[in-house]
Amino acid sequence: MSIDSKIDIRKLNIWFGEKHVIRDLDLKLRANAVTAIMGPSGCGKSTLLRAFNRMNDVIKSCKTTGDVLINGKTIYGNNTNVYDLRRQVGMVFQKPNPLPKSIYENIAFGPKIHKTAKGKSLDKVVEKSLRAAALWDEVHDRLTDSAFDLSGGQQQRLCIARALAVDPEVILMDEPCSALDPAATAKIEQLIRVLSTDYTVIIVTHNMQQASRVSDYTVFLYLGKIIEQGNTKDIFENPKHELTEQYITGEFG
Amino acid sequence: MIVCLLAFFWIVAILFTGIGTLNMEFLTTSALKGGAFEMIVGTFYLFLGAAGIAGPIGVFAAIYLVEYAPSGKLTRIIDQSINNLAGVPSIIIGLFGFTFFSRQLGFGVSLIAGWFTLALMILPIVIRGSEEALRIVPGSFKQAALALGATKWKSISLTTLIAAAPGIVTSVILGIARVAGETAAILFTSSVIITRGLPSSPFEPVMSLAFNMYIKIVARGEPPENVFGIALILFFIVLSFSLVAIILRVYYRRKQPWLH
Repeated sequence: MSIDSKIDIRKLNIWFGEKHVIRDLDLKLRANAVTAIMGPSGCGKSTLLRAFNRMNDVIKSCKTTGDVLINGKTIYGNNTNVYDLRRQVGMVFQKPNPLPKSIYENIAFGPKIHKTAKGKSLDKVVEKSLRAAALWDEVHDRLTDSAFDLSGGQQQRLCIARALAVDPEVILMDEPCSALDPAATAKIEQLIRVLSTDYTVIIVTHNMQQASRVSDYTVFLYLGKIIEQGNTKDIFENPKHELTEQYITGEFG
Repeated sequence: MIVCLLAFFWIVAILFTGIGTLNMEFLTTSALKGGAFEMIVGTFYLFLGAAGIAGPIGVFAAIYLVEYAPSGKLTRIIDQSINNLAGVPSIIIGLFGFTFFSRQLGFGVSLIAGWFTLALMILPIVIRGSEEALRIVPGSFKQAALALGATKWKSISLTTLIAAAPGIVTSVILGIARVAGETAAILFTSSVIITRGLPSSPFEPVMSLAFNMYIKIVARGEPPENVFGIALILFFIVLSFSLVAIILRVYYRRKQPWLH
């Protein structure tokens, strides 16, 4: 995985207080592909993910060293604008988190704060984002309804649409289906496949079937270190490391 | 049981005595001609101005304490001071207002001195109420906004604050209910027995219902029956503010699905 790397992680270390969560991690992630970060609870998956849009900054006790490059440019530089970074790197959370606003206003929130669209062009962005998240047909006639009136699966697709509305290049997903039923999960997984043609998608999951279904590449993380990485197919059919095999066969997790 | 019943009938009796003296004429006639007009409007002037001062300060203080204040000694001292402020007897607040706002700052006996003095009483109620309203808003709203590239202030002001707004408004109304009938705090700072019409600027003194009752009974030795009407008006004002606060709270609880 050397050519076409969208995200380049170099000697990344992350601490929460005394706890060393990510240890000396080097990793390259490909553009326009889905990479699954897999591993048992507490292995640092979500922390690693949140290093890519610097959402760890919000936590006071968090300390980060090393570097993360996106498109070859550091995102931990002194003059990195984290607000632009988070526009460029969107995020979808574990539990759907619509804002207490209408469906329309949820999508319009990003373009409004970044002043990238208003009026008619904002209407277009909203429609385009909802279409891209496969939600338009279900909500186009009730855009002014509260986002909380939607089902859980719809709410999560709304959150994906909201992230798309600010025109990101990378989309981070932190166990996006863990709060959803199988039918809603299937829809999101299908959507992730479609999104990967235009976006770089990185998904954290501890659902192995999900990782094998949606991802092109898989990174297996254990205690803050990469145990194994490669093509998803290879990892699942032919794991090289004993720990990976144990994890995949469900011996621990 | 019997005591309660007796008390209840006693209240009903007083209510009827008061209602007997109430009519539109009494409410709209100038105090110079024996009405209550300036007292009613003056009471509104007082608590609305005080809420106008304490509201914004209280809300920003609450935002600071919930979202920005580092957890340390200073924050704990501020926190404890707010509790202490809420516990200061109103006569002491009134005395402070008189020495500080009326004399030190030279506001004299005026509406504006009353506003600041009453604001001191509303402030802890607004801060505590707004803090609670802000704290029950799920952090996921702020997270969502931050992840979209909003600054910390924008994510708070555009999501958390808006979601907390009903609770904040309720706390301001409760603060008003607390001071609408306040006497001691305006005794030396803003109220007089009689004015010629309404104050034309914040630097003029004002009439108020509570002060009027106090003066009539204590200074002039009038029988309590003379102020039953005024008492009733004040009672209804305070009651209606408390009721509005309760209705707002119930209404918005229903409209905030994230609370369930």
